[in-house]
Amino acid sequence: MRPLTVRRLLWICGGLAAVLLACVVLALKLGAVPISVTDLVWNLGRVAIGRSDQLPTEYRLIVFDLRLPRILLGILVGAALSVSGASFQALLRNPLADPFVLGVSSGAALGSILALIFAPQLPFVTPLGAFLGAMATIAAVYFLGRRGGELDSTTLLLGGVISASFLSAIIMFLMTTLAGRDLRGMVFWLMGDLSTPVPPGLRWIFTMGLLVGIGAIYSTSADLNLLLTGEREAIHLGVDATRVKLVVYVSASLLTALAVSASGAIGYVGLLVPHAMRLLFGSDYRVLIPASALGGAIAIVLADTLARTVVAPTELPVGAMTAMAGAPVFIYLLRRGMR
Amino acid sequence: MADSITDTRTDFWRRGIASISAGIVMVCVLISGGFVPARASEAQGEPLSTRSDTRAFTDETGRRVNVPPQVNRIVSLAPNLTEIVFALKQENHLAGDTDFCDYPPEAAQKPHVGGPVNPNLEEIVKLHPDLILATSINRRETVDALVRLGLPVYVTDPHSLDEMIASVERIGSVLGAEKSAAALAENLRARLADLDRRLAGAAPRRALFVVWTDPLSSIGRGTFVADALRHAGARSVVETDTEWPRISLEEIIHLQPEFLVFVSEHAGDTPGEIEALSSRPGWRDLDAIHQGKIVFVSEAIIRPVPRIVDVIEQLARGLHPEAFAALNAPSAYTQPAIKEACACAR
Repeated sequence: MRPLTVRRLLWICGGLAAVLLACVVLALKLGAVPISVTDLVWNLGRVAIGRSDQLPTEYRLIVFDLRLPRILLGILVGAALSVSGASFQALLRNPLADPFVLGVSSGAALGSILALIFAPQLPFVTPLGAFLGAMATIAAVYFLGRRGGELDSTTLLLGGVISASFLSAIIMFLMTTLAGRDLRGMVFWLMGDLSTPVPPGLRWIFTMGLLVGIGAIYSTSADLNLLLTGEREAIHLGVDATRVKLVVYVSASLLTALAVSASGAIGYVGLLVPHAMRLLFGSDYRVLIPASALGGAIAIVLADTLARTVVAPTELPVGAMTAMAGAPVFIYLLRRGMR
Repeated sequence: MADSITDTRTDFWRRGIASISAGIVMVCVLISGGFVPARASEAQGEPLSTRSDTRAFTDETGRRVNVPPQVNRIVSLAPNLTEIVFALKQENHLAGDTDFCDYPPEAAQKPHVGGPVNPNLEEIVKLHPDLILATSINRRETVDALVRLGLPVYVTDPHSLDEMIASVERIGSVLGAEKSAAALAENLRARLADLDRRLAGAAPRRALFVVWTDPLSSIGRGTFVADALRHAGARSVVETDTEWPRISLEEIIHLQPEFLVFVSEHAGDTPGEIEALSSRPGWRDLDAIHQGKIVFVSEAIIRPVPRIVDVIEQLARGLHPEAFAALNAPSAYTQPAIKEACACAR
């Protein structure tokens, strides 16, 4: 492993951030009303100096009330999904670990469906239900995965897979028996969807939750490196394995719950992006965590831009795009890694 | 490997922590900076509600909607609403509709904003609507998002034919087309009353309404179609609260409906396909298939639109030919027969 220097870390993050910025500009340009980059720079400047009232209404609504919040939400969701994927992979020492394999997305979906059935009139009821459902599933899977007081990664993964199919069965049951008004959009949401703007009150919660979650995981990244070489070795080197595992487990669950409650079940990102980053920059978690966050953001922004422009004005679920683009990339990376 | 990491650990953190926290602060500022204009603009985002000359309505879901005095640019988010706008002769004011708006054919020429469940919000804004019509097939999140953008959204929610007609009248007054709405509503009510008179003595036919054949699905008790069947002198053999239930063929053989009613766009719309169906196990054991008691109706029957009354009339003729035999001439209220509406395979 190449020794990690702050300079190398900054170069990698800076490079990825530049790519992300290019993707954001591209995403801002494309859509129902195409916008030139010069216009964009001018108007961003106007907003920055507090003159947003000088913008034409349509422009303001489309770019600043719809497109930009959607891109930012995509960044948050992408970063949350891939960081939680990377940390589940370290925690379970299993490259297949991913928030979706662990049943979290099914739990979140069930949570929001139940919320819609029991309290459809409450504000923010869908994301709140999703969040509670995700956290409850994670707790259940955690206890399923304990064996003799120890967290056993194989049992945990199996527990996740079984919970996912059990919860999906309940969702199917509810969807066929209770065909209420608000369940209709659920099918779309289950495939992963960023088209519904998040209510302003929730944006800050998402942003803060994301920063806290990624920050907490990043603070354990050096310990995660040691844990990857083996739990006993790590304990000998002074790592408080139980504490690290708990911190990472709770934060990764929080990140997944946030992402799923905002955008439904977007697959492949949590699995693929960390793998790609590992192949590009090595498996040091001090690089992998920020690289995955930025890489996940890039992946979702690109996928969502494609999803809303490919067959415009009809929108595709972004989850379909990530799966369509993700699977071939995964196979390519896998084969290249084997050679 | 482990050693090299522990060696650089402390040193790495000391130098790294400053740059990383700087990075986090920058990300924070960037993200919140992006969200701030979106929040700030909300205050100015509702020009209509602050205008004094708007007309206030309460829509069918109990929401307050402020509509400009003159509605000139309508965006319809559902095929049935598009049809109603055309039926009220307000199509010149229809600025956009959905991918699924196919009736009348001119509706397909209007700019589309995507599907009813996942409309493209940017496309809607681009059309500068001064009123958006939505209904129960649209998602509540979509309506909420449009309201947050400061756009007036009127939501309809009819559950029966009477409510659909009342809804047409209300949309008429929102669009400033009270006259044509009143005339249309009167015509529809009179034709339904005429049907009720004709079918007063007839026993309701026990019918199976087939939405799809594979998987076999029908309609629930509370749906619009169930109400339409009642007006056509039929009763669905399927009794359930689910809107579009899937049913087993066994159950249908046990129930032995008198008539099978197929939707022509969804189920086999050619007699050939019924031929194929009647040779399949299960289906061939149905009395209705043997006796050829099969009626095709236009898919308008699953849309809450004025056109549904045409379909009901045709369906009633297919199910109760004797009630119409005495008076062969079309009733005073019947509009010219709709070609696609019915073909009786008897």
